[in-house]
Amino acid sequence: MPERDHDHSVERLLRRVLSDDVTRLQGECVDGETLAAWTEGSLRAADAAAVERHVADCARCRALMASFVRTTPPVPVAETLWRRWHLAWAVPLATAATAVAIWVALPDNGAAPLTPAQETNTLARDERSESPSSAPATESVPAPASPPASATAIRPQEEKAKLAESTNNETRQRTDRSASREFADLQAPAAASPVPQAEASPPAAPAPPAASVAAPTPAAAAAERGEADSKKEVAANSGLAPLAAARRAFAPNQIVAADGTTRWRIVSGQQVERSTNAGANWTPATITSTDALSAAAAPSAIVCWIVGARGAVFVTTDGTRFVRVPFPEIIDLTSVSATDALTATVSSADGRSWRTTDQGKTWSSGR
Amino acid sequence: MSSWRPSDSAVTHLYQQSRADRWSLPVAVFAAALERSARKVFVTPPEPRDLERLLGSLHLEDLALACACASGHEGAWEHFVREHRPVLYRAADAIDPTGGSRELADSLYGELFGLVERIGERRSLLSYFHGRSSLSTWLRAVLAQRHVDRVRSTRRFEPLPEAEATPSARSEERPQPQSRISEYVQLMRRTVTAAISRLPAKDRLRLGYYYAEDLTLAQIGRALGEHEATVSRNLAKARREIRTDVERQLRDEERMNPSQIDECFEAVVEDVGSLDVSDLLGAASDSPDSSGRPGSRRKDSRDKRSKERPEGASA
Repeated sequence: MPERDHDHSVERLLRRVLSDDVTRLQGECVDGETLAAWTEGSLRAADAAAVERHVADCARCRALMASFVRTTPPVPVAETLWRRWHLAWAVPLATAATAVAIWVALPDNGAAPLTPAQETNTLARDERSESPSSAPATESVPAPASPPASATAIRPQEEKAKLAESTNNETRQRTDRSASREFADLQAPAAASPVPQAEASPPAAPAPPAASVAAPTPAAAAAERGEADSKKEVAANSGLAPLAAARRAFAPNQIVAADGTTRWRIVSGQQVERSTNAGANWTPATITSTDALSAAAAPSAIVCWIVGARGAVFVTTDGTRFVRVPFPEIIDLTSVSATDALTATVSSADGRSWRTTDQGKTWSSGR
Repeated sequence: MSSWRPSDSAVTHLYQQSRADRWSLPVAVFAAALERSARKVFVTPPEPRDLERLLGSLHLEDLALACACASGHEGAWEHFVREHRPVLYRAADAIDPTGGSRELADSLYGELFGLVERIGERRSLLSYFHGRSSLSTWLRAVLAQRHVDRVRSTRRFEPLPEAEATPSARSEERPQPQSRISEYVQLMRRTVTAAISRLPAKDRLRLGYYYAEDLTLAQIGRALGEHEATVSRNLAKARREIRTDVERQLRDEERMNPSQIDECFEAVVEDVGSLDVSDLLGAASDSPDSSGRPGSRRKDSRDKRSKERPEGASA
């Protein structure tokens, strides 16, 4: 009996076995409130894992979740770009090219101008290698394009691993395609369907920050960007990316508000500190994040947006206390730009972006 | 000192953040809501730092709105009706496009308004909102819960009990063809169930969404935060693992030879009778759409899938 016939038999059995109204797990069923908190990622990790285990084995709770999903407004989820085998070759190439471009585009630490409020900034993790006193007013301030540098510098190995895994998966998948006709059929439209955000973006993870830097910004920033662009062209052939990226990865970055003296920085990945005297002194801000924070944008001296892994979005409107903003996707966010406390655009590593104009109550997806 | 009650200064700060003054909500009422939320999350009194983290992560504006509505503030209700009531009805229409869930939404709205007596007093359902999610997500989840519980309470058919004792293929007597098919099918159900139980929870969830709940790949992706092509890939992978596991069980535990293993898989395809019973159960219990059961849609979508796949498994 051919393998594919075994697959067909397994499918028939799966429908029957899984449709049995059986709860195999002892445990409390999920109520609406817990389900809502779970889907928004508000549960503690252990509680969330327990809910997932329960829902996986409880027919009633699985049906509840299915009903809930049907009420969820569709938000297109683009496949991670490096998962596409035909674009996989471009990942290391684009990563290296972007790293080179960013390294050259960045001025040296001492010469960097203050970041305009509307610019997007990604903060490298503060390694606490410098004491607070080493962050005086003359301390380096990253240029807008610095975030991708840290991002790309940190990720090459990770991306290679993902690429290898992806390639293996795709190879296995192609080998197995004759035996998996159903899923091949299902995948074909999905793979072929246009994913506008991803298609139009440069084929690499660092694309979003670069794209959001190009978002509407003050004229000064535009001029600066123009200069940076010309440097990028020069940089394309320099071949200095690895060293530069490594150097940038450990540089403590800050986000500077429009007034030039108020700054925030991410420390230890999940904590945030604020300075109101251009970095001379830092005080901890209140933020409750279990996910790694990666980028921030400060449109004013008291408003700052921060994004991170697994759809983490925070905003403060008093400068010190960050509150979690609901976000529709569980996806790693890598950049944010904001114009005020209500309006912000966040981007994920695979090139998609979402915009809110009501402080996260609703999000619209777009480029 | 461990306590569920936040400090006065914390309450004041959170109150400002929640913009509860828009609804003239008394601080004491808001503080009581914060304490309720803390009690919901922490079984024992939390450390001040844990309490602060929790309260800082709450959807404070929504919590203040819910408190104000539960207290009967007119302006808060106007805001709720404008911003959140449409969410409720859109969700009802999404759960049952034929309008079967509208009645549920109306009933839920009545409870939100406090029209239903609870333990001798009229209390708004909104007083059970703890701010751990946004109010709109909470509303959709509560409506989904009502829908599923209603469907299950009106279920008229239960699945056929699974045979506990499954004769082994090593049985010396060769059974008659029809009974042999039936026995093989039971054996296959047992091995597939065992194989499923060995998968990670997320894989089991994905399979359940797809095969039992008939969610589309896009819907599953939405639930799990994955792209639909990733969902498809993961489903295919899980199915391969199950097949391999079943084959291993038949070979190693049931001591079957390749030809017997093939017979087992064939038996599942040949076992048309019990499949019909299963489908009939689904169709019969689902046929009146007004009952709100999702099964008729399920059967339709299954048929659709079969049509979409000329070589589909459900031949």
